[in-house]
Amino acid sequence: MKFQTAARNRWSGLLAIPAAALLVVAACGGSSNTGGGLGSGGLLVGVIAPFTGADAGLGPAYYAACLAAAPAINNNGGVGGRQVKCQQFDTRGEPADAVPAANQMIASNSNLMAAVGCTSDEAAAVAPIMDRAHLPMFCMTGQSEFNKSTLKYFHRLVPADVYDAFAMVGSALYGPNHSPYKKAALVFGDDIGSQAFVDPATKAFTHLGGTIAINQPIHLNAASYRTEVAAMLKTNPDVILTEALGSAGTYLKEVKTQNGGKMIPFIGSSATIDPVWFQQVRDAIGIDDLLKYYAGVDLGYTFSGPAYAEFLTNLNAAAAQFADAPKYKQRGSTLHLYDGIIMTALAMVATNTADRTVYNPKIIEIANGSSSATVVNTYKDGVAAIKAGKTIRFVGAGGQNNFDQYNNSQSGYILVSYDKDGNEVQAGQLTPDQTSKLIAAGS
Amino acid sequence: MDLYVAAFGFGLVGMSVIAIAAVGFTMQFGITNMINLAYGEVMISSAYVAYYLNKAGISIWFGMVAGALFGAMFSFLLNRIVYAPFLRKGTAPIGMVIVSLAVSLMIANLLLPIVGYYSVSYQDTTGGLLRAGGIVLTTNQIAIIGVAVVLMLLIHGLLRYTRLGKAMRATAANPTLARNCGIPTQRVIDAVWLITGALCGLAGVVAAMNSDSFAIANGAGFLITALAAAVLGGAGQPYGAMIGAVIIGMVTELSAAAWSPEYKEVVAFGILVLVMVLRPQGLLAKRGALAAAG
Amino acid sequence: MNTYYATNLLVYAGVDIIACLALNMQFGVSGIVNFSFIVFQAVGAYAAAVLSLPPDSANGGFQIYVGGYQLPFPIPWIGGAAAGGLLAIPVGLVVLRRLRSDYQAIALLVLSIITNAVITNARPLLNGAAGLALVPPPFSDQIDPNTETYQFLYVGLTAVCVVIVFVLVNRIVNSPYGRSLRAMRERELAAIAIGKNPVRLKMTVFIVGGVIAGLSGAILVGFIQLWAPSVWLYPETIILFAAVIVGGRGNNIGAILGALLVPVGFEEVTRFIPTTIGPPGLIPALQWVAIGLLIIGFLWFRPEGVRPEPRHVFEGAPAREESA
Repeated sequence: MKFQTAARNRWSGLLAIPAAALLVVAACGGSSNTGGGLGSGGLLVGVIAPFTGADAGLGPAYYAACLAAAPAINNNGGVGGRQVKCQQFDTRGEPADAVPAANQMIASNSNLMAAVGCTSDEAAAVAPIMDRAHLPMFCMTGQSEFNKSTLKYFHRLVPADVYDAFAMVGSALYGPNHSPYKKAALVFGDDIGSQAFVDPATKAFTHLGGTIAINQPIHLNAASYRTEVAAMLKTNPDVILTEALGSAGTYLKEVKTQNGGKMIPFIGSSATIDPVWFQQVRDAIGIDDLLKYYAGVDLGYTFSGPAYAEFLTNLNAAAAQFADAPKYKQRGSTLHLYDGIIMTALAMVATNTADRTVYNPKIIEIANGSSSATVVNTYKDGVAAIKAGKTIRFVGAGGQNNFDQYNNSQSGYILVSYDKDGNEVQAGQLTPDQTSKLIAAGS
Repeated sequence: MDLYVAAFGFGLVGMSVIAIAAVGFTMQFGITNMINLAYGEVMISSAYVAYYLNKAGISIWFGMVAGALFGAMFSFLLNRIVYAPFLRKGTAPIGMVIVSLAVSLMIANLLLPIVGYYSVSYQDTTGGLLRAGGIVLTTNQIAIIGVAVVLMLLIHGLLRYTRLGKAMRATAANPTLARNCGIPTQRVIDAVWLITGALCGLAGVVAAMNSDSFAIANGAGFLITALAAAVLGGAGQPYGAMIGAVIIGMVTELSAAAWSPEYKEVVAFGILVLVMVLRPQGLLAKRGALAAAG
Repeated sequence: MNTYYATNLLVYAGVDIIACLALNMQFGVSGIVNFSFIVFQAVGAYAAAVLSLPPDSANGGFQIYVGGYQLPFPIPWIGGAAAGGLLAIPVGLVVLRRLRSDYQAIALLVLSIITNAVITNARPLLNGAAGLALVPPPFSDQIDPNTETYQFLYVGLTAVCVVIVFVLVNRIVNSPYGRSLRAMRERELAAIAIGKNPVRLKMTVFIVGGVIAGLSGAILVGFIQLWAPSVWLYPETIILFAAVIVGGRGNNIGAILGALLVPVGFEEVTRFIPTTIGPPGLIPALQWVAIGLLIIGFLWFRPEGVRPEPRHVFEGAPAREESA
């Protein structure tokens, strides 16, 4: 049986060639940077985070941090004259897209000085890639797999979620203005970042004499929580421990409705110190109930002092490029990443090299300091001190850092609440004794 | 026990919201043969239109009307500008689905920079609380149930008693024959997009009201629930979609009361899978749905 | 010259080619609109992961999952492929009956959504929304995965799989069996009239496609070493459909072209659009808009795809009309 195919399409194969060529060109970055002196040309901070998809809200907060850090450095002589710029690399919120994003970022840019962002959505996939490329990274993931990370270039300025959980339990047991709560309801999202709170909170609370009335993982951004709230109210908790980013308003509104208009005290994680969370919950239950029944925990941010003042000035100036930037003035992640970028720049100046393998360890030294170190709060002061031959410790907008051997840093927690304008106010704090009791009970 | 009674009440609201969306979706599919994956995004856009009006101080009930009008216009234009030209070209149904998905991606990502990525909510949407024999609902929720009932009756009346409705049913059954009988199928299809678009827009506002806060990311969830109810009842059958909505709305809430609430969507979908195994054409579809292709 | 980005793209290209070849066999040649395709890739990835991971108490016990047998290559990849095929059996039995193809399509779509929701919520099964991390790549005991040598090895392994799959799919598609499949796609009643059993044909193609899809998942998870529900949401299937259609359905070269153009080409090239214009997130969002426009553009201007299916013309046969 003879048959012939219809006329072949000649140009069908040709399309693949330019496509392939484009990709090959893209994969070839410039020449790599060698050490000795700070080099020349611009420097790049890569903001590698979700900018689209379900977590599209995370990327902008980190971008704002970079937009504030860049002028702090550039207006004070840059890094040996080199100007710092920021660029977004969208991971689309999932690891299969994050991997090429990280690889492309590294391939196309030979002048990367640091990377910031890398959230729980993708950190496990991209951190090894950036470590392999010897790129210092400041990641925003509370996942416990990084608690004992051996990646040298991975730096985490936010504590693991477990510590947040302990602090929330501490607020329930030792918080001011109330006797210790006995029955707690745990209402966290069923997603990656949220469930990390449940086990440590349960352990800590029950070992210190409380009972968990109900552990209720909720599907974030669901249409309604009516049945969930009804079930939760039946267990009669004294307090609700929650985060529920994006759905807190929905849930708490339902609580108030079904409880006959009366709110139950609720304690939020450090992520609930956020203008968006504040606005959603205030719109849901009203400002009076929010002020009366909300307690939060947060790292010991003071939101004052010379470092913070400079941060705030630069953040407000960044509104020219990114109108929403000033909104992040009290967002912990923004403060920390700002500090991270400045510390990287100081490390480069202190070691007088653009070789990432050389200045990466210096970042830790500058953060932790030593007994003879001069404390500096701004980039300008840091550069001046280095020129004068001193060793420095940088204490920035986010406060002191203490990196342990796994490159995780954390400072102490304080107990907070909101004022009527959504600013954080300190309500109390946990003593070192209470803190160690909580950690012991929860581990 | 009263947890179940309360859940029953919540189910009534849930099914009302789903019914409006599902009937619109299934009518689009039944009459124009379009699996319109952009449906959820049109719902969310209409919800945002009502949100901006609401922020300007306009009552949410007017916002609902505005949302319906916006949905009607948007869907009509979507058909005229995108879908109809592809259909005229003879694009296969699967191609149309891909087009609708591309459209949904574009709508969602065009809106994202405009409206932002974090969720918003309407003001003043609770109203007073009413209790009756264990059922706890707000006046707004009861109003939503009322709106849904009225709409279902209107759709029933449209399909059964009006010439347009008959023309729609004829076009759904056999477009060529309908055209040969003198039915202006082009105008019927325009009317379908307007009417189902209005349902879509209305459903979006109501769903947003019901969830107290919403964002662009919710669009996919809206689509999925409407899709599930439509398939359950038999794709293309409006009465089937109503039944599908009742089942999914009620089962979701009751199972949340019985077991862990995070699984409530999964249970509803499980029912769907069961129905697909036992009666794959859906509950109400006629035998014709089983015809072999070609 | 950054090898890692280049090898990343090559491995992704290989995975997407394998996936598109399978989808083309199911959809392009046989007409099965498998809107749950991504689930088969996912089950292969999960199977390969739990076969190669150590027991879940390892690494500090931060994740919970079934399995954890720590088996060496190539068992995880074979297991992944097998899982894809095994899943195809019940799904096929439920859905592949004599249903209108668009009903089938919606039913499979909903199935894909249900599966994602179940896996996200059933935490002890596959670690829920967080997914499985620290998946050991093949030969990680012998060669350090962080070296260029290893990258080339991985590309090589992927290339071998691509060749195997291509030969297999070619055998199926360009054989008498393939003619039966095309006959079933074009005029099912006529095919039945000459004695073909469409249900059996469809089931076979569904299972073989599932096996290949599972293999693609195993390759992908070995490379990125992480697998979570966010990776396999339902739009991923539609991107692959777009790839098959853009490349040219019904023929394997078209499937390969489509894989290079859409998931690799469109999605990667849009990363290079400068992001400094406008508020953050604007350009990334517009990248998705660009992808949507490209798909629509292709479907409008060249719906038969870059390389249309070769029409086999038999001498002496009566002329037949174009089918849609």
